[in-house]
Amino acid sequence: MIQLLKRLYADFRGFDEVGSTVPMMDGPLKPNTALDAAPVVARVPEIDNLAATPGGLVASRGADLLALAPQSGGTLAAEVRQTLPAPIACLAADGEGALAIGLDGQGVTIRGGRHDGAAIADLGGGQALRSPTAALFLGPDTLVVANGAADAPAADWKRDLMNRRSSGSVWSIALGGGAPRATQLARNLAFPYGLALGRDGTLLVSEAWRHRVVAIDPAAPKPPRAVLADLPAYPCRIAPAEGGYWLALFAPRNQLVEFVLREEGYRRRMVSTIDPAYWIAPALSSGASFLEPIQGGARKKLNMLKPWSPSWSYGLVVRCDPAMRPVASFHSRADGSIHGVTSLAEAGGTLLVGAKGSGAVVALDAQAASGEIEP
Amino acid sequence: MSGSDTLTRLRYRYLPDHLVGEILSKRWIDNAVPFVALVVLVAVFGIISPDFLSVSSITDLGRQIAEFGLVVLGLSIVLMSGGIDLSVASVFTLAVLASLIGTNVENLSIPLTCALVVAMGVACGAINGFLVGYLRLRAFLTTLVTLIIFRSIYDILFLKMSTAIVAGFSDSDLLLFIGSGTILGVPFSLWVALAIAIGWHIVLSRMRPGWRLTAVGGARRSAYNAGINVRRTVFSAYVWSGALSALAGFLFAARIGSTGADTGVGLEVSALTAAVLGGNSLGGGRGSVAKAAMGALFVLILSNNLTNFGVSGPVNSTILGCVLIASVFVDMRWLRNRHKWLSKMYVSPAYLSLPAPPSATDPKSPFALNDRLRSVEIIGLGAIDGPEDVILDREDNLYCGTRHGDIVRFFGPDHQRHEVFAHIGGHPLGMQFDREGNLLVCIGGMGLYQVTPKQEVAKLTDETNRSFLSVVDDSRLRLADDLDIAPDGRVYFSEATVRYEQEEWATDALESRGNGRIILYDPRTGTTRTEIHRRVFPNGVCMANDGQSFFFAESWIAAIQRYYFDGPKKGTIETVISNLPGYPDNINRASDGHYWVALLGMRTPALDLALSMPGFRRRMAKRVAPDLWLYPNINTGCVVKFDEQGNILDALWDLGGQNHPMITSMREHRGYLYLGGVSNNRIGRYKLPDADPNWCAEDFYWGARK
Repeated sequence: MIQLLKRLYADFRGFDEVGSTVPMMDGPLKPNTALDAAPVVARVPEIDNLAATPGGLVASRGADLLALAPQSGGTLAAEVRQTLPAPIACLAADGEGALAIGLDGQGVTIRGGRHDGAAIADLGGGQALRSPTAALFLGPDTLVVANGAADAPAADWKRDLMNRRSSGSVWSIALGGGAPRATQLARNLAFPYGLALGRDGTLLVSEAWRHRVVAIDPAAPKPPRAVLADLPAYPCRIAPAEGGYWLALFAPRNQLVEFVLREEGYRRRMVSTIDPAYWIAPALSSGASFLEPIQGGARKKLNMLKPWSPSWSYGLVVRCDPAMRPVASFHSRADGSIHGVTSLAEAGGTLLVGAKGSGAVVALDAQAASGEIEP
Repeated sequence: MSGSDTLTRLRYRYLPDHLVGEILSKRWIDNAVPFVALVVLVAVFGIISPDFLSVSSITDLGRQIAEFGLVVLGLSIVLMSGGIDLSVASVFTLAVLASLIGTNVENLSIPLTCALVVAMGVACGAINGFLVGYLRLRAFLTTLVTLIIFRSIYDILFLKMSTAIVAGFSDSDLLLFIGSGTILGVPFSLWVALAIAIGWHIVLSRMRPGWRLTAVGGARRSAYNAGINVRRTVFSAYVWSGALSALAGFLFAARIGSTGADTGVGLEVSALTAAVLGGNSLGGGRGSVAKAAMGALFVLILSNNLTNFGVSGPVNSTILGCVLIASVFVDMRWLRNRHKWLSKMYVSPAYLSLPAPPSATDPKSPFALNDRLRSVEIIGLGAIDGPEDVILDREDNLYCGTRHGDIVRFFGPDHQRHEVFAHIGGHPLGMQFDREGNLLVCIGGMGLYQVTPKQEVAKLTDETNRSFLSVVDDSRLRLADDLDIAPDGRVYFSEATVRYEQEEWATDALESRGNGRIILYDPRTGTTRTEIHRRVFPNGVCMANDGQSFFFAESWIAAIQRYYFDGPKKGTIETVISNLPGYPDNINRASDGHYWVALLGMRTPALDLALSMPGFRRRMAKRVAPDLWLYPNINTGCVVKFDEQGNILDALWDLGGQNHPMITSMREHRGYLYLGGVSNNRIGRYKLPDADPNWCAEDFYWGARK
């Protein structure tokens, strides 16, 4: 009741309720063009799930598992290693030859290593692993998996956001000895989309629709604790780095999207009648079709799209310190061409940034990029 | 259509909520609060005070309001000039004393006394004006000091003269008439005050001195930069304040015939309360005679009635002080928030339900996508800003407007060199040549202009008849945007919207209401009148080949209409094309007898859905920053050819808009199509593969030059 009154008063006065304002990109998140300036080392449409394995760099394109091998000129050559029965939603390597492959809508399967061929589809209690958005080996026999949404594949993330769902969960799966056993570590998460091991043995989980990174304790079930909140974009994969983390954010938040999320009537009709590509919603890439909505500030003037234009897509990688506080960031702004970064892998002193939206991999010098960067 | 949709449609058709914003944007809306307060006050005292509305009470009130009103008017004039005059009460008191000395002691003639008293007021005002206006002293402190000085002079003189005043006597009938006579039942003094008030109203609202006064009060530096003599204006405001206060004092003396130690005590506070309560801003630049009058009435009625009810003087003053504080508070809040409310309230969307647009991605569609415009040659890249329309003359010279208010001419045949053909000042939009070769051009914010071949600029029209019951002043042309000329010389032009200015034209799409119109200018009689009312962003007027009708586009409803101005179907409108995939803009003739139309932007499903949900758009306009509002996608445009039956014959695209985003206009000329765009920095030139290479639109319509 009080909430309703507050909401009505906010509507009347025309201000936003707490939590629905989009923070500025400022401080360590001050915009730059670092991603656009970085060299493009591979162009693969729909590239996703970069992962460093002992056998080299792997990635995915739809249902194809790709090997990315260095070639002359500093670029990477993509080669299809395997085609799986469903689109690949996540990849995780244990560093000793095993590779966990998330199959969108079907579960996780292990290739190589001690548990080669193991498959996890059922989480117990009637729950299926429909949306394996991220995986992480805690040891040779323990795999942590994020289930982005309880009832929809990961590819339907836009619908999950615009329906304001928060049905995601994180599971720990014991692989050793017989059939895999799943234990729930956290639930009711709003699309968990990235996993990393924290300093003190906690798990860092990026909770996309709540624009934050939370820490959960795998040993003692406690409510998730926010370690990095109020992000101006939706976070996804977290990659460990020397003395900190890399955090990829795959789409920007937008005041109009936040507004549509509060507008029940419009949102429902939009979701049920319009192709998701043309929604008022974040996207991995934008500007390809004239059927996409545009905002006032994104109208071209003198044939130019201004870099500060509001946009449905963006490219953003954030360097965080060990406590998950941002220290530097790398951007591709509204007029840039490295949008929709979903995966990161550090290999040989180079951070490879996989922009799924733009279908490109760019390389950042991990050492030079780990501190404050000059504007 | 579902039931709730029908309800929404009816609600937005019959509840004119766009009027709220229009009323809020009116200058007179400032008067609403004091007016309501006054009505409430009169109603309250009319009920609780039995003889409040009796004739004697009203006559008495009339005399008092004449005196008090003049003081408030003088103070308001000073407030409008950005200053304050606390010495009005002392001048008033001094004038009372001077009048009595003149009539009772010196036995001067009444007109002479009056003239001397007013001259004394002018002198007092001039002292204030000199100190504040020319020596630039602080108005508040200066007039506080002069208040004390004038009052002291009064006290000194009063002590010396009081016996003589009481002993003396004036038997002038004229003085008696001024003091207590009536004309048509209205006290004489009220007639005087009314005449002065009306005169000042005309000066303030209609004449240069008044505008200069408000300009100085509103923005002193800007007024100075605009060439206004700021010091003299400020000086004269104080002189007027002194003169009006002195006149009020004279009227008071004529009515009462005596003075005392408490005459005029606290008058400055009541006058200030009245002026501010009426809505004259303490910050200057905002005020009117009506505000002063309302404030004076309010304060006088309140204090008189409080006195009648036996409220003692100090309590009465306290109440007045509270009223002053409250009105200063309201004034401050109002001034600070009015534009915020206005910006939140002004955008007022209407209901519009469009069927799903035809698909352009289907290769069999007449609108099928292609990249033919990607190969256009580019003219004038970077040299021009915003060529909304382009036109070519018989000598192949290319003309376009720019946002800087120029018409630029590119010399044919190669269009490499250019010059400013004419500088008009507003952004030129639609253009057309008349029979004599004059270039007629619609200028956003200015109206319909003509440029002769000798580069002489002349205004044809900038206003039309004001429509009955319109709240915004729709007689001025705000956004005239395209024209064509009938064979007999009559000029039909469109005004896209009466609610938005040139730079905000796309915001009209959020409303999608019939805010625009088609206007006829008849050069034979020089008259202008509105021909078609309430059209949705009308645009692209183009004469049909029959010479008795023209096409026009209604952009936001994605339709092209045909209006018959002559012939058997005179006065009727036919829909030629509806449900285009984009928003049509300018229409022009093609060499094969058909017509080109530019689609300035494409429809998007998200906006189409929003158009049927006006409440969503209204809340969006309130809650979301304007740069983040949902807009029509004007980053992609195309050119379409259609025939008189409305069949689509051709479509030219530049997908992705790399070479030519946003097309608002196109002209065919000798085998090429020239493309303009309102936010482009270039003109495109596209070779039409199968067009007549000798076809010139001007020759085609008006005949070859003799």
